Amino acid sequence: MSLRTQIVRVAAFCALFLIAAADLSAQVRNSAAQPIALNAVLSDSVSVNLSANAVNFSLTPGNANNPGSTAITATTTWLLKPNIGFVSTYAFFSSSASALSDGVGDNIPSADFQISDNGAALKALNTTVPFGGANAGLRLSSTLILGNNKKGSHNDVMTFNINLSTIPSLPPNTYTGILTIQAQAF
Amino acid sequence: MKSTSLRIAAILLAMATASTMSAAQLNSGAQTIALNAKLTESLTLTLSANAVNFTLAAGSAANAGSTNVTATTAWVLQPGRTAVGVYAYFASSAAALTDGAGDNIPSADFYIADNGGASTALTSTVAFGPANAGMQLANVPITGANKNASRTDTMAFNINLSTLGQLPANTYTGTLNIQAQATP
Repeated sequence: MSLRTQIVRVAAFCALFLIAAADLSAQVRNSAAQPIALNAVLSDSVSVNLSANAVNFSLTPGNANNPGSTAITATTTWLLKPNIGFVSTYAFFSSSASALSDGVGDNIPSADFQISDNGAALKALNTTVPFGGANAGLRLSSTLILGNNKKGSHNDVMTFNINLSTIPSLPPNTYTGILTIQAQAF
Repeated sequence: MKSTSLRIAAILLAMATASTMSAAQLNSGAQTIALNAKLTESLTLTLSANAVNFTLAAGSAANAGSTNVTATTAWVLQPGRTAVGVYAYFASSAAALTDGAGDNIPSADFYIADNGGASTALTSTVAFGPANAGMQLANVPITGANKNASRTDTMAFNINLSTLGQLPANTYTGTLNIQAQATP
């Protein structure tokens, strides 16, 4: 073997060693990726809170204006799923014929009970809404749900009135009843 | 007399011949056996669990995961490795968890507390996953004393919704990946 051949062989061996060493140092070692499945639930909700739970009236026979003793604020709060379009808040009685009653057969119908919502005109509870008896309710508000209010709230400040002009012969007595406020997202 | 001399000479010749025979040992050729023992390099990562649930409260900064998960990283490394890193990452920084209807929880609102340390958001660019979607859980320098070793990272999880006030109610799912790398 000539000296030249030996030099060429040694040079080739050194080159191969350097290439192998370079490859080794350039290759990081990775483990397999291990997954963790994440499942997070944000539940939907709609709630109504009232600033007070009682209203008194001093009635005058045959008088159209018998305001309640206090206004009540209904705060409707919601957190909704993407496919919900509206949140509506309703006031209703369980019976249109006897919203308030003296318990001995004398009644004030829901059509004579009125609510002014957020300063608007008084409206009688004489429509059919998702809750309560037929023709015994009133929709206070309806909020369109968009991308920016899926979590939101709304206030309905209610003032009350009992109109006795259509029932002038209502006998003197104490009349009691339950007005219910409820909200629905749909 | 002459015959006695001849006998002595014959004995001396026999002894000389015997001495020559003991000095000439006969050896075979040396036969070599090439030994090749390979200790394969390895780096593995195992998890104590593969699922975490969250019950979210709208707007709340504290929504803890249902369970901790321990990542055990084990390695046998060849000479030249200087560090082992352990990483957590998502496939997307914008949508770490999603409801599939366009509403997402970004990785910046997903937090991991490693081994009781402070909660850290997955906002870094790490060896795996896309930009700004990961965090390094650990970095172990490799010396002569720990080329064959392991470590554990016990992870506690939290989702911070304080910056996502309008996130709608729904079920959000995602996949968090844990992976290790030995360098260089």
